[in-house]
Amino acid sequence: MKFQQATYEDDANDRYEPHLAEKDQTTVETDTSLPDELTRDEIELPELSEPELARHFTRLSQMNWGVENGPYPLGSCTMKYNPKFTEEIAADPAGAIHPQRPDETVQGTLAIMHTLQDYLARIGGMDAVTLQPPSGAAGEFTGISIAKAYHRANDDPRSEVIVPDTAHGTNPATATMAGYDVVEIESNDKGQMDLDAVRAACSEETAALMLTNPNTVGVFEENITELAEAVHDVGGLMYYDGANLNALMGRVRPGDIGYDIMHYNVHKTFATPHGGGGPGAGPVGVKEELREFLPNPHVRETEEGDYEFYEPAQTIGKVHGHHGNWPVLLKSFAYIYRLGDEGLLDMGEKAILNANYLASQIDFEIPYEPFFHEFVASAGEHHATDVAKMMLDNGVHAPTTAWPEIVPQALMTEPTEIESKDSLDTLAAGFNAAAHASDEELHEAPTSTSARRVDQTDADRNPQLTWDAIDQSAGEPADD
Amino acid sequence: MSQHHTAHGTPYAPHDPEATAEMLDAIGVDDVEELFAFPEELTYDGSFDIDAHTERETKADVGDMLAQNDDLVEFLGRGHYDHYVPSLVDHLSGRSEFLTSYTQYQAEASQGFLQVLFEYQSILSELTGLEIVNCSIYDAATALGEAATLSSRVRSVSGDRILIPELTDDRHRSVLENYADGADLTIEEFAYEDGNADLDALAAAAGEDVSMIYATSPTIRGTLEENLSDIGDIADDHDALFCLGTDPIALSVIEEPASVGADIVVGDASVLGMPASYGLGLGLFSTREDFLRQIPGRLSGITEDADGNRAYAMVLQTREQHIRRERATSNICTNAAWVALRTAMHASMLGPSGLMELAKTCIDEPAELAAELDAIPGIDAPAHDRHHFREFVLETERDAQAVADGLQDRGFAVHVLDDHELQVCVTDTNAEHTDDLVTAFEDVAALEEVAQ
Amino acid sequence: MSYETHDDLYYTEDHEWARPEDGTATIGLADYAQDELGDLVFFELPAVGDELTQGDAFAVVESIKAVSDVYAPVSGEVIEVNEALHDNPELTNEDPYGDGWLVKVEMADPDELDNLYDIDAYEAELLE
Repeated sequence: MKFQQATYEDDANDRYEPHLAEKDQTTVETDTSLPDELTRDEIELPELSEPELARHFTRLSQMNWGVENGPYPLGSCTMKYNPKFTEEIAADPAGAIHPQRPDETVQGTLAIMHTLQDYLARIGGMDAVTLQPPSGAAGEFTGISIAKAYHRANDDPRSEVIVPDTAHGTNPATATMAGYDVVEIESNDKGQMDLDAVRAACSEETAALMLTNPNTVGVFEENITELAEAVHDVGGLMYYDGANLNALMGRVRPGDIGYDIMHYNVHKTFATPHGGGGPGAGPVGVKEELREFLPNPHVRETEEGDYEFYEPAQTIGKVHGHHGNWPVLLKSFAYIYRLGDEGLLDMGEKAILNANYLASQIDFEIPYEPFFHEFVASAGEHHATDVAKMMLDNGVHAPTTAWPEIVPQALMTEPTEIESKDSLDTLAAGFNAAAHASDEELHEAPTSTSARRVDQTDADRNPQLTWDAIDQSAGEPADD
Repeated sequence: MSQHHTAHGTPYAPHDPEATAEMLDAIGVDDVEELFAFPEELTYDGSFDIDAHTERETKADVGDMLAQNDDLVEFLGRGHYDHYVPSLVDHLSGRSEFLTSYTQYQAEASQGFLQVLFEYQSILSELTGLEIVNCSIYDAATALGEAATLSSRVRSVSGDRILIPELTDDRHRSVLENYADGADLTIEEFAYEDGNADLDALAAAAGEDVSMIYATSPTIRGTLEENLSDIGDIADDHDALFCLGTDPIALSVIEEPASVGADIVVGDASVLGMPASYGLGLGLFSTREDFLRQIPGRLSGITEDADGNRAYAMVLQTREQHIRRERATSNICTNAAWVALRTAMHASMLGPSGLMELAKTCIDEPAELAAELDAIPGIDAPAHDRHHFREFVLETERDAQAVADGLQDRGFAVHVLDDHELQVCVTDTNAEHTDDLVTAFEDVAALEEVAQ
Repeated sequence: MSYETHDDLYYTEDHEWARPEDGTATIGLADYAQDELGDLVFFELPAVGDELTQGDAFAVVESIKAVSDVYAPVSGEVIEVNEALHDNPELTNEDPYGDGWLVKVEMADPDELDNLYDIDAYEAELLE
């Protein structure tokens, strides 16, 4: 497939859409009833009409890639289709309210929150769920903070968190944020956690072991029961990173296979839009013994059958200023309600089918298998970055590159269930065009995107992060 | 019946039996079940007891649930505000190229979003006066948490105390405590006097072991801080960082943070871009350029492409968790970028004149409402003899909860702070109801007994 | 792929080098290291007066895609730091054994050089 992204060129063939300050800068002097000493003198910002702005941002949208432009197989991100009816539900004015309304006046919102807590608990095999964390990483921080509080309550503060070397970067970063030392375990030659190494690493200092399953190379951690036993034997807790829940959906539940705490990424598994980076939401589920540590407040049903917020007895406090990212949670609720058991089970099945089919069609080696909903191929002799750029020219977005590091020149690929066989063939063709391209072709890529290969080195050596910071000597087109 | 009905599983997967058969053949298995090689003793039977529904049913049922919320005119603020967001913002931000994209790992195909984030950074940088603005933290409270851990990282002298106003909302303090706990920081409050920082108390509390002094303007009680540069001086005297909490609309009129010695600015930038949304926010995070390598979150920068044309890219990703891992400045990955996109759109639609007008509304409306309420016997408004922004505290002779309940019966929501303290917030979206609110207050809060 | 090496240097297993000279040692990153890391963008270097211990991390180097600790080939007190790297980190990419040096130390114990690879051992063991 050939592909061409929008570009806008001026007469001098400079190819870019001007930024707002190049279109206008207007200064307005402060003029309020406040005394001068409490105010600034003026502000200077672009002042443009609505039609000009409509055009500006529309052009920018044409220079961007979303799920609806074509396959977007970012490994670990689950870039599945975002059903549009959920946008309408999120826009319902009945839900657009202030988060500090008295409980009795927000029974609708609380009913939805309570039901979603319950749905997620069933899906994960957990006993209690909080919706407060505003992202997966925030969910990890919440979960590890719960583990910390649990150990402290037992007068048994510990100092270490164990992660595999294939862990998503947020896992060790979370452990550090919570004040723990990170113990990283090398994967074995099957791409899984080495059971002996984990047993050796488990000690009275072990607060938790964080592990997604299937793991980040897409394979099922077959020793999960023994791993959980090793951690539980020393009094530690098992933490499930929910990024890969799409693979397990309905067939395996983290709570049934040894995990005590988990987070869910609703923007992955439950199809809420990624929004160019966020917002997502990262609800956290826990087993009964950890229920009282959940963030404050939590939703429960009263004896009378309505809903209220309450403070869990040993709460870790808050992980978000309010109740979490409500519109995102609402969309995920609507998605689960729409799909039901059959839909949820089926989406995982088709995600696994699609990943396996795609893998059978591409000409890159995949060192670790059997995999499920995602796989990690190696770009081999090529650089993963170059492969990615060539794929863009072929009408598909690239997979995640350069991670996990146990696969050299990694191409971490997750097509999700939304791709048809035809679009998977297109995606495979994109991979294979890169696999068989010459070095020269690879270095030239991309040629059909809005920008050619970006100078990342210059961007990092000479960061220019605002229009005021733009360095005239760096060859920028001068303002007229 | 369309195969996209849930009777066939997920409606969002396009598989037909023929294609599926070809795929299974290519994979080399006879049945898709063979692909689910999970150990049998670990499997579940897939029954969550959740029924499937059509799109139409889902919209109706969820709509019915939401309709159980009471329809009240909200005069609520204290960290979450409702301002009018023009329709164009919904329309543009809802374009699927923006909405369904993710982090701009492939810069060449993501120039559009990268440029909007660059514009967001630029607009907020003009307002804070500080060189760096990141692409977002989750909300004001988590941005404050990140500021605290940043301050302990960047100071050349070690210190473990964070000073915060005693009037800091419990919710923000609770979030901050979770961040502080992991970084071995302790939080201490300093006294406030009539809605402003008590400078003597602050100076007494400050010391060499203080990493950061946090102050806000407007405060959570709606007062504007009159001593920002004095606070900046006290922080400077002790080599502590001065972190100012505020928001973009207030920033368009209050003293520029850089000019009063602020090193970090945090707050909720979604006051532009998002209407009331039950607490979804956008964590504003802006710092001096000295801290560039230590700050959390994504950054969009301008550079060139291979043809020498202007291009944008994410910058200094080596700070972030996907590269630095356990040494990352923060674990943040997914952020609030889409909200930042809306904030940039809304701010550019307002322009400096529109921002100024909106800020004036936030100053004039509460002042007027306070004066009207003050005229009611039994009400003292505003409680603080200060200038206010959007909101103010008022005192009631009658029990505050009883007054609030009475107001709620009449269709209004206000904050109850204490036995005799309420807080009321007025913006462009509820100003037209202030007359009715005053009437309701007259009914409910007047000293004279009112027939129930 | 062939990497540049010099015969007057001692090398570590992490691809740092040390050039001894009258009781001092200049320390840097080997060609292999700078190539693996890619375009360098930032160095976190120690200060003059800091003490280095052989084998311990003493600096951090960042490229556009990676962060890496730098390990001390020898122990000693830092007597000079290459300030030029602050504005021009690319010096270490372009001239890793010359202008791209990192620090200079007063060696605590020149015998420590025996623990390192000479050029032949380095090329044989690590550049295969």
